[in-house]
Amino acid sequence: MVRFFRRREVPAFIRAYEAGPWPDPRRLWREVPYVVLDVETTGLDPRRDVLLAVGLVPIEAGRVQLAGRWSSLIRPPDELLVGASSIRVHGLTRAELAEAPPIAAVLPELLARLAGRVLVVHVAQIDVGFLNHALRQGYGAQLRGPRLDTARLALTLHQHAQILGEASRDLPMPAIQLRALAASFGLPVYAQHDALNDALTTAQLFLAQATRLEQQGGRTLKALLRAGGV
Amino acid sequence: MEEIVAFLQGYPPFDDLPPAALASVADQAQIEYFAAGHDILRHGGPPAEFLYVVRKGRVDLLREEAGETRIFDTLGPGEAFGHPSLIRSQPPIVTVRAHTETLAYLIPAATFQRLRAEYPVVASFFAASALERLEFALRRREADADSALFRMRLRDLVRRPLVAMSPEATVCEAAIRMRDEGVSCLLVDMLPYGVLDAGTGIITDRDLRNRVIAAGRPDSTPLREVMTAPAITLPADSLVFEGLLLMLERHIHHLPLTEGGLVTGIITNTDILRQQSNSPLFLPRQLERATSLDDLRSYTDQVAETVGALLDAGARVSDIGRVVAVAHDALLQRILRDAEAELGPPPAPYAWLVLGSEGRYEQTLRTDQDNALVYADEHPPDAPAYFEALAARVVEQLVACGFPRCPGDIMATNPSWRQPLAVWQSTFAHWIDTPDEEALLRSAIFFDFRQAYGALPAEAALRPIVARARGNTIFLARLARAALRNPAPLTLLRGVALERHGDQKDLLDLKLRGTALVVDLARLFALEAGRTETSTVARLRAAWPEASLSEGEAEALVSAFELISLLRLRHQRAQLERGEQPTNLVVFPRLSPLEQRELKESLQAIARVQRGLATAYQTGRIA
Repeated sequence: MVRFFRRREVPAFIRAYEAGPWPDPRRLWREVPYVVLDVETTGLDPRRDVLLAVGLVPIEAGRVQLAGRWSSLIRPPDELLVGASSIRVHGLTRAELAEAPPIAAVLPELLARLAGRVLVVHVAQIDVGFLNHALRQGYGAQLRGPRLDTARLALTLHQHAQILGEASRDLPMPAIQLRALAASFGLPVYAQHDALNDALTTAQLFLAQATRLEQQGGRTLKALLRAGGV
Repeated sequence: MEEIVAFLQGYPPFDDLPPAALASVADQAQIEYFAAGHDILRHGGPPAEFLYVVRKGRVDLLREEAGETRIFDTLGPGEAFGHPSLIRSQPPIVTVRAHTETLAYLIPAATFQRLRAEYPVVASFFAASALERLEFALRRREADADSALFRMRLRDLVRRPLVAMSPEATVCEAAIRMRDEGVSCLLVDMLPYGVLDAGTGIITDRDLRNRVIAAGRPDSTPLREVMTAPAITLPADSLVFEGLLLMLERHIHHLPLTEGGLVTGIITNTDILRQQSNSPLFLPRQLERATSLDDLRSYTDQVAETVGALLDAGARVSDIGRVVAVAHDALLQRILRDAEAELGPPPAPYAWLVLGSEGRYEQTLRTDQDNALVYADEHPPDAPAYFEALAARVVEQLVACGFPRCPGDIMATNPSWRQPLAVWQSTFAHWIDTPDEEALLRSAIFFDFRQAYGALPAEAALRPIVARARGNTIFLARLARAALRNPAPLTLLRGVALERHGDQKDLLDLKLRGTALVVDLARLFALEAGRTETSTVARLRAAWPEASLSEGEAEALVSAFELISLLRLRHQRAQLERGEQPTNLVVFPRLSPLEQRELKESLQAIARVQRGLATAYQTGRIA
């Protein structure tokens, strides 16, 4: 009964987000708008741990748009804020988090920035899991639209390279850590443990991967989704 | 984001911007990734919408020439492209193609235009051509220099009002006036009186001593008999360094300044000395005080230190070369006079010639001796023996002062290079008329000669022979071919930039594959135009109207020469400070990004002129 009531009262920002429209997979990958996202959490289990920060950069016309970058800290529930030992791992202090807006205040703006774009995440399972958990709890909603995982793209490109004979069969799978992958492309790595910087590093990795896939004939969003969709 | 700011900070012109400005650039930037072979900008295609800064990878700039596409430049991290098209909103005149996978920061047009408007350093850096950037780099080096010599104008040093007298006043009246005013010199107001125009004369306390008292003249002597008129002057807005050079070269201590043709102020060497403690102006005094060979040796050490100070002060290498030439000439003259005192007066007039880099005023460190001796055709039979002894003594003392013997034995001690004037004249003529390998080799050293001492007018007798090269197309063509045998090492450079095979590949000889190329070109152009200048910079500036290069090319070569020389001198000085033997070899990848770029652009300027020369002389066809 309570659940039904909540569903009927879906807030406008959720409705706006869900309305899309989402990019057509037949379009060339460079013509599609993306948003590259990274989150910081207290741990890996969405049921026990919580979001602490979110950062994103949009990609349009195949170019990272730094002017559109956005990030926010998220105030954890008070009981977590008190036992903040794991929080320090992220370089975030209790004082900073205490002043941050709660997740309910962050979600509307976040969703507005995700709407209508292909979501790009490195190891999407974690980030998507946490966001879906928050959306389900608050509004019975979840993330929509096409999603790409740069870690999956890395594995696919590695397999392509093996098939094409560019990498030997017994070469181990590349490490899927973001920094290691970025470094393997010779890309600059932006400062450690910050949602926005990690999103930026992921965005550059994605451009490099998509460009390489394009060289192998995968020119559309569909091809990208086949190689790294989740 | 901080990484983008930090990255940009490492490269010109961004390194000159305040952090806040860089942060706003990073704020608006976009990031794009290009596959190898992708055309980022296309010749004749849509105008650039961004200034592109390479973050990772390399891009080639391609130009269509006579139906074929040629790579004329390769840019690496920190280097920018797209600005010529962006500034003029016109289709790109070059194609920019990613050579490797390339990550670039894109600065939107609006941000770029705002930067150009707010920061002159950005505007001038991106002002059109690579040539202008070279000149700009030189000027910035000078502006950076923390020295009054290159920042202040002579006008700023004027400390006292002008005191002028009539040429009919007596030296006694002048001396009283000088005492009362507390000055060491007076201007002499020449006709028309009341206007200190270009004809204005000068009388100094040294003149009163040397030309009046020591010469036994009465104190009623009118000034017009002992003054110098017109005085040597400089425009008041000249750099302090120019005043210093003029004083050194002309051995004067007082310098009237002019504005609009009128003398408006006067400065003395003390005014300049106050600006710098390690000034070359101290050198002559050092030399006067020297009483032993050890003193002379320490004088040359002093000269070397002055070079370091001038380098720190931001002097151009050609200017440093002029200071060194004055200082070393003074030493040579002292040694020759001492030798004459020892051996007795010379039996016939002679001239001591300095050759090679010394002849070109381009010696900056103590390098090997290159010299020769010319004596009058009419000479007593004992003259050859006298000059043999003289040469032996002088060369020996120069060695003691730190100038090693020439390994090729091009010294006045070698009988071949110690000859009567007529022999020299026919030798010079022979080299031009029969330009075999030997002749080309010799002319490269001997045609850069300069007379540093001696009463025999050797310059006047030998220059006209050298001038015969003008119009001798066989000689000039052979010389051109020899100059082109050593092309600007651009492919080597690209190789260094793109791939690394072993150690040797990363090394660059800044003399052999840098400055020497310009020296050879300048000599050729000077001979082509019949000019008598010997310094490379002066040759290029004097020769272009009548030689096979344009004014722009001449200026580009001048800038290239200055920049490579500067790099070389800094490198050698660092080696000396580490206690190593100075060399001309640098490890290219270890140079700073700015130095790498300047070096590359300098070599490109040289390559352009070399290509033009190859066309002008059709060097391919000459056997």
